[in-house]
Amino acid sequence: MSTKTVEIGVGRGREMGPGGAAVPSPLAPFDIPEPELGGDRMLINIGPQHPATHGVLRLVCELDGETVVRVSPDIGYLHSSFEKLGEYRTWNQIVPLTDRMDYLAPLIYNCAFVMSVEKLMGIEVTERCKVLRVIIMELDRIFGHLLWLGTTAIDVGAFTPFLYSFQQREKIYQLHESLTGARITTSATRVGGMMADIPEGWMEQLLNFVDEFPKTLDEVDRLLTGNQIHIGRTQGIGVINADEAINYGFTGPNLRASGVPYDLRKDRPYYDYETYDFEVPVGEHGDCYDRYLCRMEEMRQSVGIIYQAMSRLPAGPINVEDPNISLPSKTDCMSDMESMIHHFKLITDGIPAPEGDCYMAVEGSKGELGMYIVAEEGDVKPVRWRVRPPSFVNLSVIPKLAEGHLVSDLIMINASLDIVLGEIDR
Amino acid sequence: MGLGDVLPGGGVSKTTGGILGPGTPTFLTSKVDALINWGRLNSLWPMPFGTACCAIEMMASAASNYDLARFGMERMSFSPRQADVLICAGRVPYKLAPVLRRIWDQMPQPKWAISMGACASSGGVFDVYSMVQGIDTIIPVDVYIPGCPPRPEGLIYGLMMVQEKIRQESLTKHFEHRAEDPATVGAPRANDEQVVGLTGPFGNSTRQERLSTGDIPTPESDEAADTIVT
Amino acid sequence: MTEREMSGLDAVGEGPVSSDVTESASTQSTGDPSDHPSVEALLERYGDAVSRHRLNAGDQWVVWIDPTRSHEVLAWLKEDPDHLFDMMSDVTGVDYGKGRPVEVVYQMYSTTHGRALRIRCPLPLDELEIDSVCDLWKSANWLEREVYDLFGVTFRGHPDLRRILMPSDYAEGHPLRKDFPLRGRFSRAEQTRRALNQDVERYYLAEDIVYGEPQYAPEVGTKGSQDGEEG
Repeated sequence: MSTKTVEIGVGRGREMGPGGAAVPSPLAPFDIPEPELGGDRMLINIGPQHPATHGVLRLVCELDGETVVRVSPDIGYLHSSFEKLGEYRTWNQIVPLTDRMDYLAPLIYNCAFVMSVEKLMGIEVTERCKVLRVIIMELDRIFGHLLWLGTTAIDVGAFTPFLYSFQQREKIYQLHESLTGARITTSATRVGGMMADIPEGWMEQLLNFVDEFPKTLDEVDRLLTGNQIHIGRTQGIGVINADEAINYGFTGPNLRASGVPYDLRKDRPYYDYETYDFEVPVGEHGDCYDRYLCRMEEMRQSVGIIYQAMSRLPAGPINVEDPNISLPSKTDCMSDMESMIHHFKLITDGIPAPEGDCYMAVEGSKGELGMYIVAEEGDVKPVRWRVRPPSFVNLSVIPKLAEGHLVSDLIMINASLDIVLGEIDR
Repeated sequence: MGLGDVLPGGGVSKTTGGILGPGTPTFLTSKVDALINWGRLNSLWPMPFGTACCAIEMMASAASNYDLARFGMERMSFSPRQADVLICAGRVPYKLAPVLRRIWDQMPQPKWAISMGACASSGGVFDVYSMVQGIDTIIPVDVYIPGCPPRPEGLIYGLMMVQEKIRQESLTKHFEHRAEDPATVGAPRANDEQVVGLTGPFGNSTRQERLSTGDIPTPESDEAADTIVT
Repeated sequence: MTEREMSGLDAVGEGPVSSDVTESASTQSTGDPSDHPSVEALLERYGDAVSRHRLNAGDQWVVWIDPTRSHEVLAWLKEDPDHLFDMMSDVTGVDYGKGRPVEVVYQMYSTTHGRALRIRCPLPLDELEIDSVCDLWKSANWLEREVYDLFGVTFRGHPDLRRILMPSDYAEGHPLRKDFPLRGRFSRAEQTRRALNQDVERYYLAEDIVYGEPQYAPEVGTKGSQDGEEG
């Protein structure tokens, strides 16, 4: 016989309990006894084909009544062996693989990979390239969070935010498309620069988007942030405290929701992020609601960073001026013998790397996204390409988070972690 | 295509309202095939089997900008037992293959399958140890949609091709076309030679064949021993 | 023909690069350890366990340590107040092929001191075993399972060492090893047949897991009948 205390919260008072404990709600909690099930435990299988698992995740749950006693995630249903395939590809050929890994924020992955290669080779990209990469990474942080927002809202029964967020995503799709030619699989970066400079009119399109986007965010904010159903489904659910969150390897918004202000853009800055003016939103309770709030605020901060980066985007070349790294222009190839030879050498040979290894971590939309590359002297391909997957590590915490909650809360906890199976299974 | 196209009319009444308003027939004659196909093709319930990037495009197709509901497909059926058309969107690893086959077996006839994207259709860039090289080795596929991933327009076009296919069907050949042998449930659709034929290396992956430099593991059965690639 | 003389396309066909030398040419240490307090302290305290250290990619410190003492060194790095590497970002493996040892790589970060450190433990091919650090960092749990799955490295003391990405009855080996062909060892027909013969209702219970031993999912589920529940 077990009882489950159901609390109905009416907003969250700003007064917080010690250690970020949930504050008792103004309404008195009442006990709902659960039917006696003779102590038998049930085994429930969720997935791998289930709309609420955000991909092909399988959760085997052991239930006592409706309370989750134990949950064992079973992953690998989308194992595409990116890392093995990368060992057969030259540096630039790996870029298209990276955006198929996290199809929710592909540009961050494109950038993270080439940043790691450039770091290993000691290539310093141009100022224009740096700022442009900051713009597209922040754009895709919004892109990733928007999908999370839409699908998570569906999981708690709100369909409207899905349509709102997909309308905004459609605008980012168009920005992707005019920048790279593809809607999702962007493959925008190359070692030492970008595939192409921004097309004409792109900045106006982007400005239009960042001007309009916060309005939609406010609308969703009005729909969800104070919504009693949403609050009831998220507050006090899946709580993890700061020390445990670090020990379990949480990163990104999930970690910050627990009160740890760890953001790689501030703590291990790259691309002059220390010179941008932005806040790192930090939660207090480490529950689903705080994760939601952190992501919402992060999108607003990203808009701010995009504005700043747009104003400081310098003129000049986008690729490094080294014929052994960057491809010459098509015109030069056709008219200039030397350029043609360089073009040929770059395409057929690739870019040799020095011996060593390099781990470059960026703040992805899901957490610390690390690209670890091992090369031997003169390699044009990696000996080992390893992606430190943020949602893989985040998901591994779900057995702890879900313990003692209801099955429906398990769905919310899973959604609040913002996982993407392409990157978990790789 | 409206009802009037399928149903040639008779008994036109000038005064009272007909089926489609005043001046239209009060009774209709038609082929049963046409009527049933019309009903089927305009209320397809897709079963979204979304795994990777293509699933995101499938969601975009269902969202407001592309709005699949215009074609009678607003009811995404997440249960295979109420679904008509399986949309396999994204790459399918071998670990997921029995799940896909199980879902296909659970869908009632008549049913159709769409293979969305390069990975589902042929394995795409993933000519690797863990990936099914085209879901047509596992389930029969009606429409292949190219692209990596296909745009929402591509998916909608693919679904309309399924509608076109339904239009050609006839009840008189129902059992011929739709009969299923219970013995084939859970089995691969293609036999061994067909699988090998369908999954040969192509494009860049022709250059990926590489001899194993290590010891080949001892297979558990003699049957497996014949099939080890060296 | 050496690697350098081949064209890129040939190199693609040739597969992952693996050098002919059995040990990396640059075995000597580089960098001034006094730049990184943790490396300096490691050399001082565990000088006999550290085989070499290098400064890679400009500012990244790598320390090679003896795998038999890895747990002791890593525990010290985590607990010592001067270092406090409380975040284990990544555990992974590297296989160079050609008989060179498989290396287990730990990426650590200290949120207190703002320092990163990379520890590598070379494991000889005939003894792919290392102590699990799961008791120190919970994040190592799945990461070590993945290394076990893809490289075949056994982690002593891991609470639940099973395959994580590949099916539990995967028979072709450990895919990320250099001797594993990209398209797998079995033919596509055999792979397809094996895949469809998997039991989709297979599950495991925690009671069935033998702690500390590599464990495959036991055969508890039955081959699903086609008449009843959804898979």
